[in-house]
Amino acid sequence: MSDKTAAVPTDSVTPGPERLALQKRVDLSVASPSYLMWLKFRRHRLAVASAVVVIMLYVIAAFAEFIAPHDPEKQNALNAYQSPTQIHFFDNSGQFHLRPFVFGTTSVRNPDTFELEFADDTTVRHPIRLLVRGDPYKMWGVFQSDIHLFGVADPDAKFFLLGSDKQGRDLFSRIVYGTRISMSIGLVGVLLSFVIGIIIGGISGYFGGVVDIVLQRVIEFVRSMPTIPLWLGLAAALPSDWSIMQIYFSITIILSLIGWTGLAQVVRGRALALREEDFIMAARLSGTSQTRIILRHMVPSFMSHIIAALTLAVPEMIIAETALSFLGLGLRFPAISWGVLLQEAQNLRSVALAPWLLAPGGMVVISVLALNFFGDGLRDAADPYRN
Amino acid sequence: MTDTGPTAIKTTVPRRILDVRGLSKHFPVTVGILRREVAKIRAVDDVTFHVHAGETLGLVGESGCGKTTTGRCLLRALDPTAGEIIFDPGDVEPVDVAALKGKALKVLRQDMQMVFQDPFSSLNPRWTLLDLVGEPLVAYGVSRGKALETRVAELLRSVGLRPEYMRRYPHAFSGGERQRIGIARALALNPKLVVADEPVSALDVSVRAQTLNLLADLQEELSLTYIFISHDLSVVQHICDRVVVMYSGRVVEVADTDDLFSAPLHPYTEALLSAVPKPNPDAAKNRIVLKGEIADPANAPSGCAFHPRCTYAKDICRQQAPPLTTMESGREVRCHLAAELTLAGVN
Ligand SMILES: Nc1ncnc2c1ncn2[C@@H]1O[C@H](COP(=O)(O)OP(=O)(O)OP(=O)(O)O)[C@@H](O)[C@H]1O
Ligand SMILES: [Mg+2]
Repeated sequence: MSDKTAAVPTDSVTPGPERLALQKRVDLSVASPSYLMWLKFRRHRLAVASAVVVIMLYVIAAFAEFIAPHDPEKQNALNAYQSPTQIHFFDNSGQFHLRPFVFGTTSVRNPDTFELEFADDTTVRHPIRLLVRGDPYKMWGVFQSDIHLFGVADPDAKFFLLGSDKQGRDLFSRIVYGTRISMSIGLVGVLLSFVIGIIIGGISGYFGGVVDIVLQRVIEFVRSMPTIPLWLGLAAALPSDWSIMQIYFSITIILSLIGWTGLAQVVRGRALALREEDFIMAARLSGTSQTRIILRHMVPSFMSHIIAALTLAVPEMIIAETALSFLGLGLRFPAISWGVLLQEAQNLRSVALAPWLLAPGGMVVISVLALNFFGDGLRDAADPYRN
Repeated sequence: MTDTGPTAIKTTVPRRILDVRGLSKHFPVTVGILRREVAKIRAVDDVTFHVHAGETLGLVGESGCGKTTTGRCLLRALDPTAGEIIFDPGDVEPVDVAALKGKALKVLRQDMQMVFQDPFSSLNPRWTLLDLVGEPLVAYGVSRGKALETRVAELLRSVGLRPEYMRRYPHAFSGGERQRIGIARALALNPKLVVADEPVSALDVSVRAQTLNLLADLQEELSLTYIFISHDLSVVQHICDRVVVMYSGRVVEVADTDDLFSAPLHPYTEALLSAVPKPNPDAAKNRIVLKGEIADPANAPSGCAFHPRCTYAKDICRQQAPPLTTMESGREVRCHLAAELTLAGVN
């Protein structure tokens, strides 16, 4: 992936800081490290685009209640397995409307099967509006409101952007809510691995010697364990009467039990490399204290690498959570995560009947790709002084 | 920095600012998880020499002979395995650097500083010149705030950089300019002794002379003493007063520069000198090409470490390690045959 991003042919135009400095000397000679990193990051178009996607995903996660047009739990047997509602700009008379709209629906009973079937009622137009009143919700469990970012004003109109599930719940709204758990479980899990990783990796790299060798063997041991059975075993051991919160945190802990190894290795590698850097020795010879060397020299020079490594670890966690939940061993009803949503797509019949149930899988793909590209870009920009 | 001037004139025998006796640094070679020691790299082995106040002492030898390790031990960037390093700054009692700890070591480092070989890796790219040059001043609580800026500006000016550059980062500077930043840093605390580890070998040929001249000017101005580590003998001939030649972690010859270049006493020195480019093209024919590998400091040959490559080697050289002996002329050499051989120098 990094190869692809690196191949963006901008080399002759915007090379490393060295040559850039010559072109815009006045500007860049006082450019701070973070500005140089930004310049370098910006050259990776794909990474920049991915960063936008990642930010959007986290905005969605943060404001799920507001962004989802419906209450994700609102059931309606009449709306079971609705296919995604079409959005129109032209009405039945061929007239163009700047504001998109959906048609109303009429239901007809099929005379042969006696099943209710739906058809567009092209005489009724439900315009899609911004900031409409709809299902009431409690933002972050605190603020009571019923304003949604977008939707149709008529509560009876069918407005299912990605179709609905067996209970007639709006899949789009459920995916939006699922974003919150799926994206945050990666983040929380990574933060936890980060703490373990930075401590173990730091100790390993800083002390070196026997400590390093022992810790390296431990890391190799942990890494060599097949993750899926381990997760399955641990997850299956969780008591079934635990609350969503308890399960959520147990799952993140289980995920980070493995995830820390990669981070520990990054930290160790950087610490070992830094120990050899002349500027660390120069600082020591200038009388700078050990604490100050660590805080002012070492931490800033590997912070960017760590952030990149963290970003690259998030998608692993997302995939792991999805896999566990899909298998029914991770989060479960009534929690909503992409993995939980995908459970609905487990049997072939419902997938054949309602292929849109696979949409949460699409979200997993999008988020994982975006985070990976973003992380690649960060990693390449982490050391703007190379080349 | 005015105190050493008069002292140098008053006494005819120059004061030894540094007296290194029997300095050794061995790196263990370990295997396995238990780190069993299977061998020692004798990077520096029983090195003895001294430095006169105000002079420039050259430390020369091929790659891997222990020059850097010696230099780092002198500043205690590495802890020596054995030996004494008596430092006599002149104004206070002499101290044994090898035995210093903690605070005393920090105090000592005000007087001894280092210029690094690589002007790229020795400057933290995330710091501005003000931070970099001011680092020692801040660490020793010498100055801060406005006073720090004034002092840094002064230091930058003294190495020929414009004080306006203070807010810039090192990436905006060329190798030669960066080395000047490194020099300014080393001089920030008014040291008496500066160890310069190949300060110009990473620089473009075009800025080498400039940088060497700067070092020479600063030496004059601030009465500095230099230990100049180099493998470039033509540079050494140009700027050093005396030269210590090292081979495989040991001192093989110590002499005044002129004596060493005109009449080397050790065959290794002769071989090094024969490789120096000469103005007279005929002389190039006499180049002694050293055969064989540089002695491995982890597994030194018996007897004289140089004997496998020495054209004059006799049986005694293979059997007995020669001691570093002082000749009648007062020159020191580590060779059994020093009295018998007449070796070719340059000029
Ligand atoms: N930290 C270390 N651990 C183990 N061996 C080391 C270490 N540092 C140096 N050595 C070994 O000690 C010997 C002397 O190294 P040193 O760097 O002092 O040589 P040098 O004369 O400065 O060479 P150069 O001209 O290449 O800089 C070499 O064989 C080197 O491999
Ligand atoms: Mg060296």
